[in-house]
Amino acid sequence: MTEKRIYIASIGIVSPLAKGLAATEARLRDNRSAIGPLDLFPLLQGAILPVGQVHEHELDESSPLPRTHRLARLAALQAMDSRSERPEAVILGTTTGGILTTEQLLRDSDRHKERYRYHGIGSVATSVAEAIDCCGPALTVSTACSSGAVAIALAMAMLRHGKAKTVLAGGADSLCRLTYFGFHSLQLVDRNGCRPFDADRHGMAVAEGAAMLLLTTEKPEAPLAELLGAGLSCDAYHPAAPHPEGRGARMAMEAALADAGLTAAEIDYINLHGTGTPENDLAEAKAIQALFITPPPLSSIKGATGHSLAASGAIEAAVATIAVAKNFLPANTGCTQPDPALDLLPLLQPTTQRVSAVLSNSFGFGGNNGSLVIGAPDSFPTQKPAPAHPALAIHGSACLTGAGEKTATTSLFAQGLAVTGMVAPEHLAENLPARFVRRLKRLPRMTLSLAVAAQQDSGFAGKPAAIFMGTGWGALSETYDFLTRLTESQEQFPSPTDFVGSVHNGPAGQAAILLGATGANITTGGGDYSFEQALFAADLLLGGGDDDHCLVLGADEGHQTLSPLLDPSIAPDTPLADGGGALCLSRKREGAHCLLTLPFYQRSTATADIDALIDALGGATALQGRCALVLAGIPAVEREAGEAQLERFIRQTHLDIPVICYRDLIGEFASASAVAAAIAASLLATGDSSTLLGKATTGDRHTILVLGLGHYLSVMEFSRP
Amino acid sequence: MDKLVAELKDKLIDVLNLQGVTPADFDENAQLVGGPLGIDSIDVLEMVVMVEKEYGIAINNQEIGEKVFSSLTSLAAYIKSHSPDSSS
Repeated sequence: MTEKRIYIASIGIVSPLAKGLAATEARLRDNRSAIGPLDLFPLLQGAILPVGQVHEHELDESSPLPRTHRLARLAALQAMDSRSERPEAVILGTTTGGILTTEQLLRDSDRHKERYRYHGIGSVATSVAEAIDCCGPALTVSTACSSGAVAIALAMAMLRHGKAKTVLAGGADSLCRLTYFGFHSLQLVDRNGCRPFDADRHGMAVAEGAAMLLLTTEKPEAPLAELLGAGLSCDAYHPAAPHPEGRGARMAMEAALADAGLTAAEIDYINLHGTGTPENDLAEAKAIQALFITPPPLSSIKGATGHSLAASGAIEAAVATIAVAKNFLPANTGCTQPDPALDLLPLLQPTTQRVSAVLSNSFGFGGNNGSLVIGAPDSFPTQKPAPAHPALAIHGSACLTGAGEKTATTSLFAQGLAVTGMVAPEHLAENLPARFVRRLKRLPRMTLSLAVAAQQDSGFAGKPAAIFMGTGWGALSETYDFLTRLTESQEQFPSPTDFVGSVHNGPAGQAAILLGATGANITTGGGDYSFEQALFAADLLLGGGDDDHCLVLGADEGHQTLSPLLDPSIAPDTPLADGGGALCLSRKREGAHCLLTLPFYQRSTATADIDALIDALGGATALQGRCALVLAGIPAVEREAGEAQLERFIRQTHLDIPVICYRDLIGEFASASAVAAAIAASLLATGDSSTLLGKATTGDRHTILVLGLGHYLSVMEFSRP
Repeated sequence: MDKLVAELKDKLIDVLNLQGVTPADFDENAQLVGGPLGIDSIDVLEMVVMVEKEYGIAINNQEIGEKVFSSLTSLAAYIKSHSPDSSS
């Protein structure tokens, strides 16, 4: 692998400040806050809180797409405007997806399923990919307020490892009742607007916006800046509060600096996360004090923009880009009396000075942290290329289904018997400490149970370095309960517990706390392909050290009301099913149950088709020699296309081996593929595949393929080491 | 007062889902937040909602909140003295 520079070729941005990079810069130079009273949706009672709302007439109000999608597409199209580069992947961070639309539909008791079709967070990245005609992977990252930064960090890993030459990455979130009332219920909203680092600060202003960065390893004519490094960490401390000493924040900044090959002294400006809540600003200040002997100039722009959640990391990466491109440092708008307890003086006025390297911080719920280093192009030495990692090795696995845990599930499945249904209450949390899970509902319990079981199965004594979690729909019970109580109490008594539990990365954050996993903690949400996305992220980020191991999970809960409305594969008469799977992975072959690769993951198009998938597996002849079993995932809604794809796969490969459409046995839920993965790993570990369905397979054939079919095509290959 | 303490024990066990905790082993004088029951800042906010909903008393100041929720006894005393229908 050769050394690679990652250039920021262009940026699309829309925020409460302005639309477009130049207008954003101009508004930052004005140093005025764009925070004002909410008027996006009416309130049933109570004082109107200040928010950062996009007053953007060009947001096409007639579009059937939810607001988050429209914000994301606006930023994406702007970034791609008159560019010749074609991104090979879209990586987008979002927490809200289509929830603003869903909230209204639920209030209206609207049961028209098709109106909920853009609810899923994964539909935002897909919508962007369609808008810019990108056929490659469209990944959705949901790590709360660090989502945008984490999306950019993942894009960076993809580019560094040569998996793509150009990637469009960023974040988008719209205002909605869930976040407006949710943060209010946590008493984290400042009624007087947002004043980060001020002695009299009382919290944040919830906001919206989007930014998308066109990143490329092929040097553009006039690059705006260079993406030098990224660092991810997890506090593993509390679901909503930061570690009081800023432990995770410091780790993320340290990792980003190390990744960029820079010392703290080489940073000219820090764009703070600076939400304006007393605890967040204090934790960030402590982390900076611990890392910087003399902190450089620093400021948070959230007093001007508000906190646009998943968009903020991308918007602030754009601001960091403006800083290096224009030698301009924005002010810490809103702060008049810097808090002496923080012992840091943020910039009270916009400042012009030479800037070569900027550190941009984003920290979120679940203790999910991401820091980026952005610098002037070609100004710093390139890093040594990362060594190519060996294949992922599975050291432990677990699953939960209607039939119970892994042994029961695998045994029935191998006999061709159904394991579908809802996970029984006694299996939901049997291996978990009662006090730890008292506040947790269905999805986090399932997730924790899987995480603990996979870790135990691996026999690894050490803590996992990182956790990757795919979920198609997130914590439905918490989301539904929050919205129901909000409506029933006439917006007076939203539940803080349900709000904290409703965030997509809540379950993975809980797993990090329980297992002490302080490395990257990434939740992906790509509908029926969420688990594959989590695996994709793990393969990009898991290091090659012998002690490094991570958990990759996929889980979804069946919810009586929401599942039939949201999941297009669940018809009114479909029996509800749920569950999930987990793998404990490292790069160490020794002692591994089996090896795992993800050779193909693309949006299904004329060129990215089954033939391309077969090519990625090395072609038909090679497959005939090694493949013993195919587990095919065809979501019910994709039946026609999926069956045609499967038929072509079998015809083109001439494989005469068992092919099982696993959803027939596991049930219809988004992360059914995680269960299939755990079953595949288990079959290879125990050697059961030779008797699977009574059909003998020859000894040389030693791999199992788990195909994902439909509007995305993917294949995971499990093989004996 | 004893009646209110007993009532609050039931309500907190329910609202905070304190599994395995019975009113009998809920010490009203023990430290409530950060104490043996594992009650944290999110639970405090949930208790704030409960107090407002059930007793019509708003606690939206962190300093007051810290005092009020220091123990179950202090919570009961605060509710008693601030109750709209209290005679005091």
